[in-house]
Amino acid sequence: MNAVAFRATDVDSTLMWFAVALATVAAALVLVERAVFALQQVRLRRLERRYAPLVLRALADDTAAADELAASPPRHRLAILRLLIVPLIDDRDPLRIERTRAIVPAIAFIPTAERYLRSWRWWRRALALHALGLVQARDHTAAIVAALDDPNANVRAAALDALTDLCDPASLQAVAVRLHDPSLPAGRRAAALAAFGCKGEIFLLDLAEVDAAHRANYASALALCGTARARPALARWTEDPRAEVSAAALEALARIGVDGDAARLAIAALEHKDARVRAMAAQALRGWAGDDAAAHLAGHLDDEWPVALRAARALQSSPAGVVELQARTSRTDLTGVLARQMLWQGAAQW
Amino acid sequence: MVTATTAATVIVAFSLLVTTYFVVWNLAQIAMCPVAALFLWRHQQRHSQRARALVDRLVAPPLVSIVVPAYNEELTIVDSVRALLALEYESREIVVVNDGSSDGTLAALRDAFQLAPAPVAFAQPIETAAICGMYRSLAEPGLVVVDKINGGCKADAANAGINAASGTLVLIIDADTVLEADALSRAVIPFLDDPATVAVGGNIAIINGCRVERGRIAAVELPSSWLAAFQTIEYMRAFLLFRLACASVNGVVLISGAFGLFRRDAVIAVGGYDRTAIGEDMDLTIRLQAHFRRRGEPVRIEFDPNPLGWTQAPEDWRSLRSQRCRWRRGLLQVLWRHRRLIGNVRFGILGIGVLPYVLVFDGLGAPLEIGGYAITGGAAALGLVNWQYARVLLLVSVLLSMAVTFVAVLLSDVATRRYMRGRDLVPLLETIVLEHCGYRQVNSWWACVGTVQALSGKGGWGTMKRRSFE
Repeated sequence: MNAVAFRATDVDSTLMWFAVALATVAAALVLVERAVFALQQVRLRRLERRYAPLVLRALADDTAAADELAASPPRHRLAILRLLIVPLIDDRDPLRIERTRAIVPAIAFIPTAERYLRSWRWWRRALALHALGLVQARDHTAAIVAALDDPNANVRAAALDALTDLCDPASLQAVAVRLHDPSLPAGRRAAALAAFGCKGEIFLLDLAEVDAAHRANYASALALCGTARARPALARWTEDPRAEVSAAALEALARIGVDGDAARLAIAALEHKDARVRAMAAQALRGWAGDDAAAHLAGHLDDEWPVALRAARALQSSPAGVVELQARTSRTDLTGVLARQMLWQGAAQW
Repeated sequence: MVTATTAATVIVAFSLLVTTYFVVWNLAQIAMCPVAALFLWRHQQRHSQRARALVDRLVAPPLVSIVVPAYNEELTIVDSVRALLALEYESREIVVVNDGSSDGTLAALRDAFQLAPAPVAFAQPIETAAICGMYRSLAEPGLVVVDKINGGCKADAANAGINAASGTLVLIIDADTVLEADALSRAVIPFLDDPATVAVGGNIAIINGCRVERGRIAAVELPSSWLAAFQTIEYMRAFLLFRLACASVNGVVLISGAFGLFRRDAVIAVGGYDRTAIGEDMDLTIRLQAHFRRRGEPVRIEFDPNPLGWTQAPEDWRSLRSQRCRWRRGLLQVLWRHRRLIGNVRFGILGIGVLPYVLVFDGLGAPLEIGGYAITGGAAALGLVNWQYARVLLLVSVLLSMAVTFVAVLLSDVATRRYMRGRDLVPLLETIVLEHCGYRQVNSWWACVGTVQALSGKGGWGTMKRRSFE
């Protein structure tokens, strides 16, 4: 027994030294990291104090300040680029972008970005793409489009972000054909298309005609960037046998607004067997006063909840609809509460 | 003679078991460190400032309903709601659920936000205690107050809020949670990136010691009370090691009740929070994981290591004991309820990795530790303790645990940049060392008390002394 205990103690003493070493290394890591961070902050603050006023002056078209930035030591240039480029994430003022684009070549931005684009480290490639996009370096559109096929998903997402910032019509096709690429983040795909606005509409409509399999995606995309021009196609798609296509088309029509033909189809879709389609049909009819829409919508106030809610909101938006709601205020069920809620909200002075 | 030998054998066997157990546990945590660090680094790269700008550029960002269950929150509720109204995310509504408060919670809200009784229609897919009234704010269009009969638990109030919510996403927070201004803009990103995302949890920190102005953190300070400081370190370990490691393998099993953003339809599909669950947040997270995995549908539960919210930690022993015993009962209840998932390959990493880890280490750790102290005491009384061995065992355990804590602090530094001033360093180091001088042992004891309470069917939430922020 003593021998067992003795051997165990031997093992434990090895363990103890291992534990001491581990705790010491971990503590040292914390200290070193904090010291490095503090030094970095001091350096950054120093560089900011020195260059931030120059950057502001250069952006205000002061050529002397721009020259001074160009003459800065190479080791300061990343900090200067940061001061110039990072604010562009939130400030997309075309004038500021143009001025920044004019200043950055003098501080070796392009060679640095190109070097980063060729880096084996994906985060450097992503950083370069973001920077090129933010300054709208349209002479690099081809390189950014090529990065959409990068093996790293984060770089592909950064390329999409860059194309969103770039808004170069030459890249529209590349963005649109990646509408169905599940390896790219869905939200960023939507943001990229939305950035092009109605410029992408014709292209999407043409693609949708030859690629019926992805029609629901095209309809969702047209909800972001479609105009009245897309209405006939969307109206046609409301009759698609696939419920998800009908629902997406009706949702897009809700954003664009319906005309007489589309409204008639939306009223017909209110009787669809799929609740998603009925809900979107009710949403599409919001603001539409013709074709006895109010009576049809009122018939759905006791439908499934998503349909009822959208029907009530649509009724709230037209005088005939308000009359239908008023007729139901005395009911004690959910329909009555819904009608009273819509009328109360309509009257509330926010 | 035979009895003494048998006792010695039992003691050596038990000490070997305890040594092995704690070494393996600490090594498992140390193994998590690089996994968590890698996940954190990747997360920071992916969620760059440019990526976060995405939300501002969306034509129609998802509507988020912020559900605030409030029970006797008169002191903090107005500040909390004001802070929520000032969030940097425009597409949001706030649903405060007054869960039958006996104090002036509703009156405080009525006075501050000009509440008026108003018809609010909503379907009730989840059953809750009866609703007494609905109020809309005449000052703030996005504020709804649901006044209901007390349901006896936060789960019932949260369910009422989820019913009344009109957003596609629902954020469930505690009434005293203070959110960072960009918390929602950050938390919605995973939902935008991946349609399989059903929930996102956030890194929560201790607000004690910080200066709060108009519902926002004005100055970050380490808590002055030792109890709160120990909990600060505990939160770092909990949020930035285990949960990050779980998130890296899509095996998150706990989204804290202080901050959880969920897809509303997913929560409704699993029946909302379980009113009978003590650890309702962990129970819901596991049910979400299990529901989608059982159906073979893709599911992702994300965890954001960036600072999203702040919560009050109990500063008196009674409140802390009550909280820890409840957490323990909740953990055991959840493990028992989901026992069929443990070791079940059908549920992937959740079944074969995360839940077995929780069972073996979180479930058994405290009883083994207290058992170890008891056996050592008994053996000392019989003169059977090998003191050198006991000393080494204790030291190894403390040092490994400190190493893990240091890594957690390192990750916290990278993720949050809190407590980074020079003057924070010494108190932080003191806390890391001193928590081993009684605090952790007391916690283990409370865990054992909680275990006994769970086995004897004792329940209840207990109470926590709350303080106004200013």
